[in-house]
Formats: sequence, structure tokens, C-alpha cells
Amino acid sequence: MVAGVARYARMMGGLARYTLAREMAFRGNFLVKVSVELLWMGILVAFYRVVFAKTSTIAGWSEPDYFFFVGCFFAINGLIETLFLENCNEFAELVRTGDLDFLLLKPIDEQFLISCRKIDWGTAPNLLMGAILMAVALVQKGWTFDPGRVAAFVVTFACGVAIAYSFMMMLTSVSVWMVRNQSLMEMWWLFSSLVRYPREIFSGRGAEMLGRFFTFVVPILLVSNVPADVMVRVLDPGMIAWTVAVAAASLWVSRRFFHVALRSYRSASS
Amino acid sequence: MPIIEVEGLTKTYRVFQKKEGLLGALRGLYRREYKEVKAVAGINFSIEPGEMVAFLGPNGAGKTTTLKMLSGLIYPTAGDATVLGHVPWRREDAYRRRFALVMGQKNQLWWDLPAGDSFQLHREIYSIPRDQFDRTLGELAELLGVEKLTRQAVRELSLGERMKMELIAALLHGPQVLLLDEPTIGLDVVAQAAIQKCLRDYHASRGVTMLLTSHYMRDVEALCDRVIVITHGTLVYDGPLAGIVERFGESKLVRLQFEGPAPERREMERYGEVSRLEGPFADVRIERSRIAGALADVLNRHALADVSVEDPPLEEVIAKVFEEARLAHDAA
Repeated sequence: MVAGVARYARMMGGLARYTLAREMAFRGNFLVKVSVELLWMGILVAFYRVVFAKTSTIAGWSEPDYFFFVGCFFAINGLIETLFLENCNEFAELVRTGDLDFLLLKPIDEQFLISCRKIDWGTAPNLLMGAILMAVALVQKGWTFDPGRVAAFVVTFACGVAIAYSFMMMLTSVSVWMVRNQSLMEMWWLFSSLVRYPREIFSGRGAEMLGRFFTFVVPILLVSNVPADVMVRVLDPGMIAWTVAVAAASLWVSRRFFHVALRSYRSASS
Repeated sequence: MPIIEVEGLTKTYRVFQKKEGLLGALRGLYRREYKEVKAVAGINFSIEPGEMVAFLGPNGAGKTTTLKMLSGLIYPTAGDATVLGHVPWRREDAYRRRFALVMGQKNQLWWDLPAGDSFQLHREIYSIPRDQFDRTLGELAELLGVEKLTRQAVRELSLGERMKMELIAALLHGPQVLLLDEPTIGLDVVAQAAIQKCLRDYHASRGVTMLLTSHYMRDVEALCDRVIVITHGTLVYDGPLAGIVERFGESKLVRLQFEGPAPERREMERYGEVSRLEGPFADVRIERSRIAGALADVLNRHALADVSVEDPPLEEVIAKVFEEARLAHDAA
């Protein structure tokens, strides 16, 4: 078990090195990508600063709490985009061209190789910027260190990543049947749009139902809401347990779904 | 005990039949028509350890589909197969460590990185011990003459160099079974010969079992003693390479060199089809059963300086096999 984990960690390290070397070979593209990501985040933070100049809370979230939430979202989203998004996005093309063959031949977990083989270093700064934003927000809030909250945050943050990853893997798997899956990016955009706001914005009768739906039926609102909540707002053990259960279940379901999809792989003619 | 065993292996694809025009495309949105295509129709064969077998057939015969089932890439519709004691489509790591698939028309190396980096990644994935990796890489790179190219980005290599790198990547982990799908396609004769030599040497030193598909009969002649021919998903010949010429090569090429000028064309055409008549030389294609009589007759009438009897080129024989199979299939 330990040897297995060490082997996958070594491989991840290798993949990280080689993809960094590849990015550096096209450094112009890399620098533009990083700049666009940073600019996007800067605009978003400036926008919220303007909003909080007019109001003290958004949907019950104070300015530092909200900035912590935004930082948390950026960190999760950055992690997903850095590790998985490009790989999942390329999956349909691998299916269409038959290049998936070589990934399936390797004596290694197919899901690992398919979803982690390239690291998109251009989006990695989002993770760092998200972490910085969270740290600044905590300082602004005058947050005092609480190991219980930190532990709950780490667990639920990991669960948030797991839920988002599982959702992406299920979308990706559909490519085996659809062959062309250009809707993946649109679906991911929709997903990240839902995840980037606190669930309290779903207020009012119809919206509340929608909020519940995305918390308990298709529980994608848990992704960044719960880790942000446990760190700066309410430490709700019930919600933590629910998030952990959803993460475990979604990882299991997405893995099963992925393997079922692979059974239908036809391998394009050579 | 066979290293590869195939029994009733079948693969049927359901293929969408797109209608012509815009109306057809719109109709396809709600009502789709599919056709069942039997790519492989219940084939049986077995291969012993260390054999080098050519798997031949025209385009669309089911060769690549069979190789893909044996590699575990696709699931069969029916039938069984074991390779090295494993059911391929279970894709167990223990199996995937012991075989390799080389596809001449596809790349497994990272396009923007030097091949050496892809080899390192292979080392991690296959858990190849460092000393074994260095030794094998050194041997293969030397054998293929690409020692100085492993630090060059793959996209900057020629097709031949890239194929050599692909072959190295496939052999680094020391596979016991090697499945090769047109490994020399598009290569010049020098690169083809280098790949053939590498495979021959590798086979001689490691006793690897090889199943090779190729449209180049030079590959087949250089590497394989046994041939399996598949057409329309059905096996039509399985036996020694020499046997296929015996069975399907109905005529032989008789090359004659006369002491004086060759006789007139009309006289030579009595024996068979004349393909060359020039000075003292005459090449005549004669039916096997008539060769002895024809030669005796020529010797009675003329003085010969030299004579040779050759099998027809393998390309010609194989083309005949494919054509006969096509006619039989169309008739059925």
C-alpha cells in the first residue's frame, strides 16, 4: 500500500516535471495564461470591493468572510484546473482519434493516468492566489487559531476537490459514447458558476428549493461552501459528515461510471 | 503450451448509417439507423512462445481489431482469448507489464518533449530498475542508431527516427509478447531494414513472441516463418510462410538464359506467360505442373547457359489469396 502510494507520488512528480518542461518550451503562451488568470482574479476582487463599499454583507456574509469564501473557491477551482481540467477536456479527442489506446496499455490506474497526466501550470497561480486571499481575509477578520476548525477545513476542502473532480470525471466519461464532447467546458462553466457563490444567495421560495436541490440532491454547492463555512462561520458537524459522505459516494460512483464507459471504448481505426 | 490462444473471437460493431443531405441529418436526430458490422467473425488460432507470426489481410479485414482485443483495448462481442495466461480485456497490471503494442500510425511519446523524457516516464510507470533501464536503452538506441537523438524533441524527429523511438519505448520494459501493427508503414527502405534488424536481434536475444501485421511483404519475409491470413473477419490460412506460396502460388517464374539469342516470343508463349524477352534472356511464368515438361522441351530444342526457377513474389501470392477470399465472400 505504502509502496503503491509512493509509486503514484513519484509518477505525479515526474508528470509535474515533464509538463513544466513542456510549458517552459512555450514560455510566451505560459506567461500570457498566467497573466490572464491573475487579471481575472484581480477584476473579481476589485468588483467585490466595490460591492462591499456599498453594503456590509452579501447574503449574510461579511466582507472578510466573503473574501475567504472567494479565496477558497479560487483555491479549489485552481487545483481542479491545474490537475484535471485540461486532461478531462482532451479526453474526448483521445477517444475520437484512438490515442487513448496508449494510456490504456500502461500498467497503471487508467483513471489516474487519464485525469492527471498533464499538469496545467498556467492555472497553478490561482491556487496560490486563493490561499493568499484566504490568509488576508483571516487577518482582516481577526481570526484566532482553532485547530478544530483548521482540521475541519482541511477535510472539507479535500472533499470539495473530490466532489468537483468526480463531477468532472462523470462529464468526461460521457465522451466515450458521445465521441465529441464540446459541451464539457460549458457544463464545467455552469458547475463552477454555481460553486463560486454562497448557497445563501438562493433565498426566496423557488430559489430556496434550488439551493436545497444543489445541496442534497446534486450536492455541488458543498464544494466551496462547507470548507469556507467551517473555517469562518458555522462549524456544523452534520454538514461536515454529509460532505464527507457525498465526497466518498461521488468518488465511488464516478469511478464506476468511468469504468463502465471504458467498456464501450471502440478505439478509432488506425 | 501456447502463449496466445484465441477461440471463437468475435467483434461486432454497431455503426450509425448517416443519411445524405440536411433532411437526412435532421431525421438522424430522432431516428437513427445502425448497421451491424462483423469486424472479426469467430477466429481461432494459437501461438507458441518465441514464434514470429505475420497476421495478414487486406484493409478492414479485422487484423487491427484482433490486435486491439489481444491488447485489452476493446472488449470482444463473443469468444475467448488468453495471452500469457491472462484474459487481455481484464487489463490486469500483471498482464500489461508483460506485453507491448506498437502501432505504426500512432504516437505514444510526448510530442513536445525529448524521447528521453518519455522513456523516463516509462521507467516510472513500468517500475523498471534503473540499471536494467539504462542497459536496455543503451542497447536499443545503439541497435537502432539513435543514441544522439534521445534529447531532441519528438516533433523535430523524422518519421523513421520517431518510429525507432516508439519501438524503444515499447521494448524498454522487456515485453514477452510484442504485438506490432504496421510498424514500418511510411518508412523508407533504410529505416524499414533497421526496424526489421532490431526486431530480429531482439527476438534472437530475448525469445520474444511476435504477432505482426504489415502490408510490406519484406517485413514478413524478413521476420516471420508463419502466416495467418484473415479476410472479412474470417481466418483463411494459418501455416508456414512457404506453405502459402505452395498453396496459392499456382505458377513459378522460370528464368532462362540461352547460349544464343532467345527464341521468338510465339515459341516461348507455348509454355506460359512471357514477362521478359531480351537478347539471350527469357522470363516465363509457367504453371507448376507443367514446369518439368516445359524445361525438358526447351532443353531438347535449345542450348541453355543458365536456368533458375523462382517462387512468385509474396505480394503476388498474398494478393491472390485476398482476391480469392473476396470472391468467396461476395458469392456467399
